[in-house]
Amino acid sequence: MSDDNQPDARTDGGTGIVPPDDETPTWSERKKRRAGLPRLTYEYFERARREDQDLREQSTYVERDVLGFPTWPHELIRNLALTSFFVGMLLLLSATLPPHIGNPANPSSTPAIILPDWYLYWSFGLLKLGDLNPAISLLNGQKLMADRTYGVLANVVIVGAIAIVPFLNKGSARRPVEQPFWAAIGMGGVTFAFTMSMLSIQNIMPMNVSLLFDLTFLAPIVVGAITYAVLKTMREGYMYDLNRRYYRLRPPK
Amino acid sequence: MADEFMKGFGLFSVAALVWMISASWYRTPSFESTRQLVAAPPEEPGTVFDTLGIFLGDLMFWTALLGAFTFWVIIPATRQAREALVVDE
Repeated sequence: MSDDNQPDARTDGGTGIVPPDDETPTWSERKKRRAGLPRLTYEYFERARREDQDLREQSTYVERDVLGFPTWPHELIRNLALTSFFVGMLLLLSATLPPHIGNPANPSSTPAIILPDWYLYWSFGLLKLGDLNPAISLLNGQKLMADRTYGVLANVVIVGAIAIVPFLNKGSARRPVEQPFWAAIGMGGVTFAFTMSMLSIQNIMPMNVSLLFDLTFLAPIVVGAITYAVLKTMREGYMYDLNRRYYRLRPPK
Repeated sequence: MADEFMKGFGLFSVAALVWMISASWYRTPSFESTRQLVAAPPEEPGTVFDTLGIFLGDLMFWTALLGAFTFWVIIPATRQAREALVVDE
C-alpha cells in the first residue's frame, strides 16, 4: 500500500490514469504495454475501470458486489436510445430507398433459380460440395457415394462440429480477448457460414465460380488467423481482474 | 487513439449510408440484377435534383473512404512520425 501523494505512484506510463494499489502493473507488464495495440487495450480498460470507480465513489447507492442499476432512468434511457436509433433507421431507409414490393409470385410456374430463405444458404451451400467428393481409383474412378449424399453428409459433419463445441469449451471467458484461440475459431466459423452462403448462390454471384469455391475455404482460415493475432496482441494489455470484480457473485449481507 | 478510431468509423458509416441511398436510386438499374449499387449512373440526368443526387453519392463515397483513411492511417502515422522525430529529453 503506497501513498497516493507520492509522485512516483504514476505507474502507467503517463496516461494520467492511476490504477489502484492492488492492481498496479509490474515493471515487466508495463514494458509489454508500452506501444501499439496492447497499450491501446490497456488504456481502454483502465479508463473503463477508473470511470466505474469514480461512479461508485460518487454514488449514493449501497455498494454491492454485483453491479446493478435502477430501471429508471439508467436502463430505460439506454433502451429508449437504442429503440429510437432503430426506429429512426427504419423510417429513414423506408422513406429514402426506392425498392418497391414486387408482384406476387406466380404459383403455376417454377422460377429458374430456386433458393431457400437466406438464413439457410449455408446449409444449401454444403449440398454443392460435389467438387470435394473424391473419385476413388480402387473403384475405377467411381465415387464412393453420390454427390447429393456427400452434401447431406457435409451437413451432418458441420452440425456435429457445432454441437461438440460446448463440450470442448465451457464459455468461461467474458470477452474474446480472454481466449484468443476460441474467438478465432468462432470468427472463422462465422466467416465460413458467410462464404458458404455466397457459394450457395453461385448462380447469381458476379464472380468466377472456381475462385469463389477456393475463397469459401481460404477466407475463414485467413480471418481466423488475423483474429488470433490481433487478440493475442491485445491480451498483453488486458486486465483479467477487472471482470472478476465485476461479475463475482456473493450472497447479500 | 480510440477516439480517432470512432471518428473514422462514424464518418465511414454515415457517409456509406448516404452513398447507399444515392446509389440505390442512380446506380441500380434493377433490383433483380447482379450489378446493384455499382452500375454507371445515367448519362443524362433528368433534373437538377438527379444531378445533385449523383454528385452527393460520389461525394459521400469518397468521404467514407478518405475519412476513414485519414483518421485510421494518416493522423496516427503523423503522430508516430512526429514522436519518432522529436528527440527525447
